[in-house]
Amino acid sequence: MSKFLLLAFRNVFRNRRRTLMTLLMVGGGVAGLLLVGGFFAFMFRGLRESTIRNGLGHIQIFTAEHFQRDEVHVLDTGISDWQHVASSVRTGKHVRGVAPRIEFYGMLSNGVKSSVFMGSAVQPEIERSMGFSPRLASGNDLNSSSNGEVEALVGTGVARSMNVKVGDGLTILSVTADGALNGLDVQIVGLVNTGFKDLDDRYLRITLPSAQRLLQSDRVTNLVVGLDNTDNTDAVAAELAPQLRGLSQPMVEKKWIELAAYYKQVRTLFSGIFLFLGVIVFFMVLMATVNTLLMAMFERTREIGTMLAMGTPRTWIVALFMVEATLTGLFGAVAGVIGGNLLGMLLNVSGLHLPPPPGTDVPMAFRVLHVPALMIGSSLMVVVSLALASILPAIRASRLQIAEALAHV
Amino acid sequence: MIPTVALVHVDAVTRRFPLDHNEVIALDHTSLRVERGEFLAIAGPSGSGKSTLLNLIGCIDKPTSGRILIDGVDTGTLSPVQLTDLRRKKIGFVFQTFNLIPVFTAAENVEFPLLIQGLSPAERRTRVTEALESVGLAGRAHQRPDLLSGGERQRVAVARAIVHRPALVLADEPTANLDTRNATQLIELMRGLNQRLGLTFIFSTHDQRLLEHTPRIVRLTDGQVVSDSFAKGDVHEQVSAACIS
Ligand SMILES: Nc1ncnc2c1ncn2[C@@H]1O[C@H](COP(=O)(O)OP(=O)(O)O)[C@@H](O)[C@H]1O
Ligand SMILES: [Mg+2]
Repeated sequence: MSKFLLLAFRNVFRNRRRTLMTLLMVGGGVAGLLLVGGFFAFMFRGLRESTIRNGLGHIQIFTAEHFQRDEVHVLDTGISDWQHVASSVRTGKHVRGVAPRIEFYGMLSNGVKSSVFMGSAVQPEIERSMGFSPRLASGNDLNSSSNGEVEALVGTGVARSMNVKVGDGLTILSVTADGALNGLDVQIVGLVNTGFKDLDDRYLRITLPSAQRLLQSDRVTNLVVGLDNTDNTDAVAAELAPQLRGLSQPMVEKKWIELAAYYKQVRTLFSGIFLFLGVIVFFMVLMATVNTLLMAMFERTREIGTMLAMGTPRTWIVALFMVEATLTGLFGAVAGVIGGNLLGMLLNVSGLHLPPPPGTDVPMAFRVLHVPALMIGSSLMVVVSLALASILPAIRASRLQIAEALAHV
Repeated sequence: MIPTVALVHVDAVTRRFPLDHNEVIALDHTSLRVERGEFLAIAGPSGSGKSTLLNLIGCIDKPTSGRILIDGVDTGTLSPVQLTDLRRKKIGFVFQTFNLIPVFTAAENVEFPLLIQGLSPAERRTRVTEALESVGLAGRAHQRPDLLSGGERQRVAVARAIVHRPALVLADEPTANLDTRNATQLIELMRGLNQRLGLTFIFSTHDQRLLEHTPRIVRLTDGQVVSDSFAKGDVHEQVSAACIS
């Protein structure tokens, strides 16, 4: 058996030039996939972290009721004893902070024009301590300790349509938890650019106490949990789940991935593109190597005839050719993984940048992550591709007419 | 006299090859018996059907009509797998073009028939050493074929053909790619193995000069046996004529 493997191994390196070509082809395919896949992974990670940092957090806690029915009045299904829940969650491992938020809506008016808004209320210091800060186009973030005017952030779209700027005043109109209409005068301290036009056209942010005063409620909509590392999300979520279920007001948690619709869309799209690339590489390797393997088989006709004449079972011949191709695939994969990672490292230290993606003006860094799953996956793929490519030549070799094969020149 | 079972019995065999709209009759109703321990040459000009006959005896080709019996077994009744088994166990081949596996050393080439027989590594090693010694190439065991001379390569091929102690060794023009000196030496080597180990050899040649020490010569012309002579001392005595239909 080991002699048989030795034979296959030596046959792989029999025609150096051809083997080199095949290895380049196979290795190039693997390296290409690693680079593209590694870049996509970098992009996913960037999008993931920016999504989380833009305020999504790693885990959000709601009351169970929140998902069971629509609110009749604002904060109907909100968390009442939120300070207690927040402080108990805050003691958990990997938890960097817990930020209470209120989501509400209403009308904005400056006396001349009015506009609908989707508001959120936060404790700015807590948000900042967790690294969540709104992307300001101008002005400053909220400051809860300011005495005097009630501060507000509005989206750039809001500012444009209402023709207001930092320093201007606005009136917020909302329905309170009791169903009464209430108003609050605020001063714009900053304009926010979320990167999404639809959001910017409705965006309003005030501090939590202001919102509670406006809405006449001491509840919050949800608690946003920030962790030290995104990779710990599942572990922390698993630990929190039973704790939350046992509260007098039952709570449920949502992981960031469950809330990140845009991230999921992007990821699905690019995963599809990557899969498509993988399929192309798979078939390219397959087609290119079928030819090479057939050529190699043809050149060895007399040798195969000899082996068959000596009484070698035909299945051995099939196995020999398939093992040879599989070995070639393995060597190609190793070469590709090494080459791809080296190239990736080189690209990473070269500090390459891509032109700014649409909707932003910051050039995007071009980095390639080294993803083990990708290395294993693309290696497996080329090995399988070569094993498949060898089936036809292997079967042809095993079916040779012995006398004819021996007469082959 | 009780009729014994011949090692090889070619019984009224015809082999035709289709050729365009025509066909070539490579062997025409040929019969031949070879006993155990014989050393037999098939002589004849190029195209006379020597290779065709050896291929049929070696079970790597099938007759158009007639029977080939090896050890009394009609090979026409055997399945492809049984034929493979038969070749693996009972037949050794030597080829005109040596046909060694280029990525294997001399020893590994000789080992190959044992490998496909499934012998243990220890057993294989002893037998390979023995076989290489018997062809005088023990010292070249670890050379690859491309470093060996033509004569040496063919001796390795002979070692490979006898290492599994087959009942029959078939050599189709084993000397055609050798110079006269090496050719003579190779025939002498095979004759020696035949006498020392009692192995049966059938080889073909179109070179008259190699037949001097060959005890039995079957002459083929146009696919027919035209003479079958046994040597008695230095004189070749014709014992039987060809079977002509
Ligand atoms: N595969 C084949 N197809 C067609 N004709 C063949 C084939 N093999 C042998 N022949 C023909 O059969 C005849 C005998 O050939 P062969 O046995 O090779 O002769 P020898 O070995 O004595 O030179 C020749 O005329 C040859 O052309
Ligand atoms: Mg011939």
